[in-house]
Amino acid sequence: MKKIKGKASNTTEKEFVFEFKAGKHNCVLKVPLLFPVQENISDLHGRLMLLHKIPCYVENELKVSLSNFIEKETILDYDREAELALQRLTMGHVDVNQLANAWTSAYVETTLEHARPEEPSWDEDFADVYHELIHSPASDTLLNLEHNYFVRISELISERDMELKKIQERQAAEMDKVMHELGNTLSDHDVNAVASQHFDAQQVLENKWVTELEQVTCIQKQEYQEWVIKLHQDLQKSNNSSQINEEIKVQSSQLSEPSDSGDRMFEEQPQMEESFTIHLGAQLKTMHNLRLVRADVLDFCKHRRHGSSGAKLRRLQTALSLYSSSLCGLVLLVDNRVNSYSGIKRDFATVAKECTDFHFLSLEEQLEEVQQVVLYARAQRSSKQKDQPELPRNGSDDKSKNVERNPSNILPGEFYVSRHSNLSDVHVVFHLCVDDNVRSGNITARDPAIMGLRNILKVCCTHDVTTITVPLLLVHDMSEEMTIPWCLKRAELVFKCVKGFMMEMASWDGGVSRTVQFLVPRSISEEMFFQLSNMLPQIFRVSSTLTLTSKP
Amino acid sequence: MQPLKDAQLGAFTFFASALPHDVCGSNGLPLTPNSIKILGRFQILKTVTHPRLCQYVDISRGKHERLIVVAEHHESSLSDFQKRGNKISPERVLQIAYEVLEGLAFMNKHGMVHRALSVHNVLLDSKGNVKLAKFGLYHMTDHGADVDFPIGYPSYLAPEVIAQGSFHPSDPLHHEAPRPSGPKTDVWSLGVLLFELCAGRRLLHNIDINERLKFILTLGCMDDIVTVLAEEHGCLEHIQELPENVLALLQKCLTFLPSKRPSPAELLGDAVFDGVSCLYTPYQKPVSLFSSSLRCAHLELPEDIGDLCKGDGDDYLSERAINEVYNLWCLAGGDLEKELTNKEIIQSKPPICTLPNFVLEDGESFGQGRDRSFLLDDTTVTLSLCQLRNRLKDVAGESYFPLLEDEQSSLSHSNSANELSATVKLPLIIRERDTEYQLLRVILFDRLLQAYPYKKNRVYKEAKVDIPPLVRGLAWAALLGIEGDIQAKYESLDKDTPIPTDRQIEVDIPRCHQYDELLSSPQGHVKFRRLLKAWVVSHPDLVYWQGLDSLCAPFLYLNFNNEALAYACMSAFIPKYLYNFFLKDNSHVIQEYLTVFSQMIAFHDPELSNHLNEIGFIPDLYAIPWFLTMFTHVFPLHKIFHLWDTLLLGNSSFPLCIGMAILQQLRDRLLANGFNECILLFSDLPEIDIERCVRESINFFFWTPKSATYRQHAQPPKVSGDNGLGKTTTRYSSDDQDFPKTDLSREPLVLLELKAEVSPRISAEDFIDLCEMSYAANNRSKASRPRIIAVDIRSAEDRGHMSGSINVPFSTAFGTDDEVLQCPATGALQNYRGRVVVVIGHAMKSASAFAAHLVKVNFPRVCILDGGINKLKPTGLLTVPSPQI
Repeated sequence: MKKIKGKASNTTEKEFVFEFKAGKHNCVLKVPLLFPVQENISDLHGRLMLLHKIPCYVENELKVSLSNFIEKETILDYDREAELALQRLTMGHVDVNQLANAWTSAYVETTLEHARPEEPSWDEDFADVYHELIHSPASDTLLNLEHNYFVRISELISERDMELKKIQERQAAEMDKVMHELGNTLSDHDVNAVASQHFDAQQVLENKWVTELEQVTCIQKQEYQEWVIKLHQDLQKSNNSSQINEEIKVQSSQLSEPSDSGDRMFEEQPQMEESFTIHLGAQLKTMHNLRLVRADVLDFCKHRRHGSSGAKLRRLQTALSLYSSSLCGLVLLVDNRVNSYSGIKRDFATVAKECTDFHFLSLEEQLEEVQQVVLYARAQRSSKQKDQPELPRNGSDDKSKNVERNPSNILPGEFYVSRHSNLSDVHVVFHLCVDDNVRSGNITARDPAIMGLRNILKVCCTHDVTTITVPLLLVHDMSEEMTIPWCLKRAELVFKCVKGFMMEMASWDGGVSRTVQFLVPRSISEEMFFQLSNMLPQIFRVSSTLTLTSKP
Repeated sequence: MQPLKDAQLGAFTFFASALPHDVCGSNGLPLTPNSIKILGRFQILKTVTHPRLCQYVDISRGKHERLIVVAEHHESSLSDFQKRGNKISPERVLQIAYEVLEGLAFMNKHGMVHRALSVHNVLLDSKGNVKLAKFGLYHMTDHGADVDFPIGYPSYLAPEVIAQGSFHPSDPLHHEAPRPSGPKTDVWSLGVLLFELCAGRRLLHNIDINERLKFILTLGCMDDIVTVLAEEHGCLEHIQELPENVLALLQKCLTFLPSKRPSPAELLGDAVFDGVSCLYTPYQKPVSLFSSSLRCAHLELPEDIGDLCKGDGDDYLSERAINEVYNLWCLAGGDLEKELTNKEIIQSKPPICTLPNFVLEDGESFGQGRDRSFLLDDTTVTLSLCQLRNRLKDVAGESYFPLLEDEQSSLSHSNSANELSATVKLPLIIRERDTEYQLLRVILFDRLLQAYPYKKNRVYKEAKVDIPPLVRGLAWAALLGIEGDIQAKYESLDKDTPIPTDRQIEVDIPRCHQYDELLSSPQGHVKFRRLLKAWVVSHPDLVYWQGLDSLCAPFLYLNFNNEALAYACMSAFIPKYLYNFFLKDNSHVIQEYLTVFSQMIAFHDPELSNHLNEIGFIPDLYAIPWFLTMFTHVFPLHKIFHLWDTLLLGNSSFPLCIGMAILQQLRDRLLANGFNECILLFSDLPEIDIERCVRESINFFFWTPKSATYRQHAQPPKVSGDNGLGKTTTRYSSDDQDFPKTDLSREPLVLLELKAEVSPRISAEDFIDLCEMSYAANNRSKASRPRIIAVDIRSAEDRGHMSGSINVPFSTAFGTDDEVLQCPATGALQNYRGRVVVVIGHAMKSASAFAAHLVKVNFPRVCILDGGINKLKPTGLLTVPSPQI
């Protein structure tokens, strides 16, 4: 961390002279004073009296002349400074236009009176409308509508999967046939031709589905938004809200047809979780909730079967808090490329596409935006570093070289943010970049991944994300090298760092109660889980259970 | 503070600028948020009271560095003239100018500059007098450094202000903040303002800011700025028609060069105001409670006392001080953010729409559009008092003027009295939120404190009920008996010269109660430092021990704007409760204290005592920070306040009872656990229910004989002579040591001997006192003292015993395995379980052993008579029973 630079000291020393008579002696008190005077004049006066053993009969006289002196000299200083500034202007050392522009931009950018009028933002209007509707009796209707759209997409996806499966089967059969003939009637060349033909056919089919899905999503989104706006208008127009309520109810019953076509929906699998309540802080304590969960990271995103226990409630919960100031966030560990082509990124993208996002841009569009911003950020950074070469470069040269090679890649510890209204439990996903380092055993509290976590928590503070899910071991999947000691060591590190950050957060936001969920991969053993859940209360101070007694 | 009168409460809001990401201060600790800096600097504004200035009342922090300032407000301002478009008479212009200058000169005396003078910020009260608003903005924002927006309005900026440049954090070219503006910049603004009033139109209104500022800068080349401006605005004729002195005033104000421009104070004495200045009398600051001068020196009663009551109508609420009214407004359900949101001053976007897209490793974020809701809208919103007035409509007029002399009538006749007495029984937390109750309490305390020290006893009596949070600082000072010219004393202390302790103080302050906004502000740190240094310097025989900082915190918090009072309270508190705790070698004092504490545990809770002794969990391991800091190290401020409200009523042994009460709340867990768990438990003390703690400590105090907590290292009795009027001598507050020592008092014990005894000793004096009470008045329904039973452990043959005592010979009572033998005498003892058991023997050793045995079998409230039966012999209280027949 950088230290802030001290203000340049523009101080001058002046001498205060005070003459008084003590008996027959003429005494002179000379005090060098630094201007501008920072200290309290009464204190200064008291100190002078004490230090120089000034007789008490001149006490008041000294005080008056001291404060007059300081007052006078301070005004002279002000005048001198002010005229210096005016002089610089008349001498042409400072450009008048530049100066005026700086002032103008200061006013325009910071005050409402002088700011440019705001262009109406459709997003925010929609946000307001939706927030109002979802907190009204119409919420049920909205949810059902959303669900029906979801079912439609699910159907399409299963249709697509079916067709893809069919074509794959057909192609496999054809290929078998071709392979049989290989060497007889057909040459390698022919086989290659067939293979590429198959590939092309598959591509065409996939593309067709992608466009189809995109179209449907687009249409759905538009329909939905129009419908929401219209509903809102209707509600506002009619004074008789009860009538509308009935209307909505009728509509909702029509809409909520039993739908069991959710083959692709995921079965509830037994999760393991344990909750803790903790108090942080030395004297003033803030309460937080912690949860240790064994689950797949995408479980927080996938929608469960409609009608299965609590699924609708969960959905309502997420919808209710979408535009509120208690958001739910999730940390997803990704590699250094901003896309959704491989690994967990692709899985996440698949889940994100299972349901139309009626509020925000689609994941691809959001990622494109992020890519732009990353490029912009890199450009800003490098121009800044050129400006201030004395600034120490953070990180090793190795890192900066990596950036120079491909500025659109992100570095470990950096993260990008995507917003979603269509995931089951989360609104905000923090895509935290990590490298292979996290798989090794020896990362420290200064590791970029940990610093990234800190920054994520900071964003949580500034943007009211009150529930955040963090992968405790900083990996999503277990592998060979992750032994029990490795897990324990990593868990301890993350627990301790998060505890530190949470205590720091109290100073950022004044102690808001939060929920932090620590996520461990589904593949760890139950025994391991219990070891971790034993470790947590040792690191965080778990508040004692309240014992109710009949004693007063 | 001044009474509210016809003023209103107003609130406006702004954002402090966000800190640069990931920068830490020179001491390696995180930087203080700018909003906290502003909050700290704001505090002094509450003390800047002048009839020409809008009184600042409060500041509060909202989310994301938002600040809301509450201040006196008036609906009409000079901009009303402009809206109506009519011109003002030259006489009125002079008056306004004079009044504005009065306000400015007063601010300058306090080292403040307005910088944001404009027609909107010159308010007019109902009598048409000027009230300057937002005068503290430049001061509280550290000359604009802590906010993004420029302070001041483009048309009114003085040329030198423009020339010095605007500081905008996003501008990379300006690393250095512009120099602060001097008082003369306001004179220019005043000139512009007066010109507008004379011309009846706004200056440079219809050209854009850029051109406006350039125009102001070019005025430097003009000879007669007023004429140029008049020509520019097409009102030359009108300006030239103005009287000589108004024109002269305009010219003086609109002098381009600051060195030639007069300062507000100079201008105030200028000849142009010859006709006006005689209308005004200079403002006299009311004398504060603690000062050397007479508080009523300037009191002038009208010929007819009846005049005082005339003309005020029946709006008694507006006679209360502004901060009191605001406090009540909050209690009556006022919510600043809600008021501002209703007026659409606060507009917030849903947070999900403002998330950044991308964040670098060092925390810098990108892709966040500039949020319009963060722009400055400095409109002041009037806080409606309707709800409050409605709430208080049933409070009788007499309640606003309680009579202090006639104690009977003070609480009986008014309507609300019954309600009030019902409220007294409610929990303190509820009482503190009850609007009517707080109103009446604050009024009562206000009047009592005004009559301090004459009404000291009454303050003490009322403080037993509760202390309203609003007056806690002064009430504590009254309870601690602060008197005299504390300000002069404090000023005469050298708080600047470096001393060796500085380093430690510097380390401790940023770690002391920093969750609190006030104490974590830079201003708070400065004050902390000065207070601690003043204390260290003025107590050469004592030293700074870590913990003094925590001890200082509540006093500083309550008297943030009155360091002298905080210092005086701290200096009075320490000798009373922590006598010699801050000696360089304080081990004997602390050891004795802790030993007495152990005896207290054995006395009140033998079971716990036995368990703790068994596992070796002695008070030395946990209680030192409790007592050394009087619990300020372990509790947050709001709990300390409630605890100390009672502590200050008790004597120096009351803290022992508080310690007991804390142990009681953890009793179950302590009993269930071993040494290691106990250490862990105390290393981070769990939440303690403070109201229960206070209640139980009072109960413990009641059951503890006074002399049981005798300490030879306690503060020696004061030399008589300082018992001024109103010396409180109730059982609660008087120390055992306060009374002159007699033969029957306790003798000091060597520490080793003291440590060897499980149960406390009580003095013969105390014993006799308690005996009389329990035997003479046991038919009274409510005992005001604990009931005791004297146990004579001498063998039955010994002659002469205390009447009412039972005889349990030592040899017969206990078996070899410590169990109590069944005999008639011990049976009788069991019957008296719960009473204070005073063991009387010949030799102290046997008595002490007997008591230890009783404690071992969990017999509560056992103590020993100091000096044994021999002490009682000279008193003639012993009786010899007539031989049995």
